[in-house]
Amino acid sequence: MNISEKTINNYTIISLKGILNASSAPKLKTYIAGMPDEQSLVIDLENVEFLDSSGLGALVGIARKKRTSRAVMKLARMNERVKKVFEITQAYTLFDIYDDVSAAAEV
Amino acid sequence: MNPIITLTLQANLRYVRIASIMACNVAEIFADFTCNSTDIAEFCHAYELSVSEAFTNSVRYAKPSQPEKQVTIRFSSDNSSLAVSIIDTNSQFNPVTQAPDISNYPEGGYGLFLIHRLMDTVSYTREDGTNILTMTKQATITHDT
Repeated sequence: MNISEKTINNYTIISLKGILNASSAPKLKTYIAGMPDEQSLVIDLENVEFLDSSGLGALVGIARKKRTSRAVMKLARMNERVKKVFEITQAYTLFDIYDDVSAAAEV
Repeated sequence: MNPIITLTLQANLRYVRIASIMACNVAEIFADFTCNSTDIAEFCHAYELSVSEAFTNSVRYAKPSQPEKQVTIRFSSDNSSLAVSIIDTNSQFNPVTQAPDISNYPEGGYGLFLIHRLMDTVSYTREDGTNILTMTKQATITHDT
């Protein structure tokens, strides 16, 4: 999985590309752990080809930490395969989810 | 059920993608030959995701005392359904089906719940120190008119 970042307004946009599973989730957690806890994030999922519950768990864990730090974490551009995992587990209830990265970083 | 293919992998998370890609490919070939018309992509995704979950669990709960830990993935089918079994020699486990309490922001505990939601039937047996988790789904058969 490749991770890249850019900044829009006060948000760091984290773009993920590839597979987010038990093998790659630690890389995402380590990457986010290297950022300030209070930094608000938009995670761009457009190029995530596959996500399983380990990938979901990593995102939920990051969201919990951001919530504790009173920072904001949003998700953007979820494809249908990724969306299915969020729907079955009802994890979508934990996140603000946007179709567009710029819109997510505007609010 | 007739056997299709069996794959044994080292119990290491670096190989989880091999297991899930294989599951997706076997499901695609099965659906292609079995169905006149079905949502093949959704059928394949169910196997890709379920095997990813089950293989990950097998690796995570592997006994540290076993130096050569392995996980076996076995596919079999009949005319309309495809079964995949995940086989390991870990300790016996309870294949719970309840959803984790999402309001607590849990990082884990979703795997078996997802499998039960994606598959038609999920069975667990313990035989001679071996765990066998078998997941089966019926391909949707639509006859031409």
